[in-house]
Amino acid sequence: MSFEGDPARSVRKRWFVSRFVLVPCALVLIAVLWNAWVFTHNHGVVAGRVVDAAGAPVEGAEVKLWVFNFTTFVEQASTKTRSDGSFEFAKNPSHNIQLSAEKLGVGRSRIPVRLYFQSEDIVLKRPLQLSSADADNK
Amino acid sequence: MVRHQRSWPIHLALLIVCLVMLVPFYWVLKTSISGENIFSYPPNIIPRAPHPFYYVDVWYAIPFARYFLNSVVVSVLTIVANVVLNAMAGYSLTQSFPGKRVVLMLFLSCMMIPFQATIIPAYLITGKLGLLDSYLGLALPMFSTIICIFVFKASFDAVPRSLIDAARVDGLSEGRIIWKVMMPLAKSAVATNVILSFIWSWNNFMWPLIATRSQDMQTLPLGLARFISYQEDTTGALYAFCIMVLAPGILLFLLAQKEFVQGLTTGATKG
Repeated sequence: MSFEGDPARSVRKRWFVSRFVLVPCALVLIAVLWNAWVFTHNHGVVAGRVVDAAGAPVEGAEVKLWVFNFTTFVEQASTKTRSDGSFEFAKNPSHNIQLSAEKLGVGRSRIPVRLYFQSEDIVLKRPLQLSSADADNK
Repeated sequence: MVRHQRSWPIHLALLIVCLVMLVPFYWVLKTSISGENIFSYPPNIIPRAPHPFYYVDVWYAIPFARYFLNSVVVSVLTIVANVVLNAMAGYSLTQSFPGKRVVLMLFLSCMMIPFQATIIPAYLITGKLGLLDSYLGLALPMFSTIICIFVFKASFDAVPRSLIDAARVDGLSEGRIIWKVMMPLAKSAVATNVILSFIWSWNNFMWPLIATRSQDMQTLPLGLARFISYQEDTTGALYAFCIMVLAPGILLFLLAQKEFVQGLTTGATKG
């Protein structure tokens, strides 16, 4: 039986490729893909580096993770930088955080970090740069 | 060619009117990605440093997914009930029966009664049925709307009488005539019913406020009110919330706008 000879099948096929089916299907597909991406990238890892005003890595700087808690940022965790100035937090629960770094004699820095979903794994593209001017301001 | 030359001022005027009408939508969208306060001076037409994080804030500030699901379930129930019940009511109004004029007058007069005036009886009836704080109870008062009944009636009136008579001769029952003969010819009326009932149900604030008791049964408009009540400095997030609430209705309208306009104008040019 040819397709052209079956009007019911033709109507069904036209319905399946209509905008009333294609648009919701596309939206569902986007939602599924987005959720798959979220579930594979939500371990709460926040990594980055701390450098001084000249751009050299700072070892032993205290880095704090601040999490937005309804009205204000509260301290969630802290760690020290390694010899190459890198640091890493493992269990960030939020999507709206701030990172602060401080070392006596070098300076301090604090930056806001916005994430696309809670506990998103992120490696900071730009390092936290410690400066004494920032320390004076705070 | 001459006709085209003459029509461009009209098109220009229409374009300007369209732009003016779209400004509030653009402003909401712009604020939702920039967070710029509406009172800031000088106002910026182009958003500065746009970002999507206000949408993320809204998603996590309240149980948005739950409210969205509630709104979808209530809207789907309302749409299905409206299409089925209004089609049956509209078909019956195309037939001749004793007291038809009285029924028509009753329908038209009932259109003048605002919903607020019927809230207490609606609440009592829903309570007696044990449907308070349930999806069915949230959708029940919107199961049929008189305007949509008249949309179906106008559409069914345009169907030739001989077609219905032929269906009766072929042995179809009245129910099957509605679903097999009339409904396929009234797609625009169905689209109009779907869009109108969806928008009324989706935007309904008063009835869900009264009929829900638990937070889990609240719909998006209630979520918006709750969001405003406990969030400070919400300019960007508030507008993002508005966009998230508006988007499904706009999408549905854009999908079915051709049928919607046809449905509203059915019968307007008859004769």
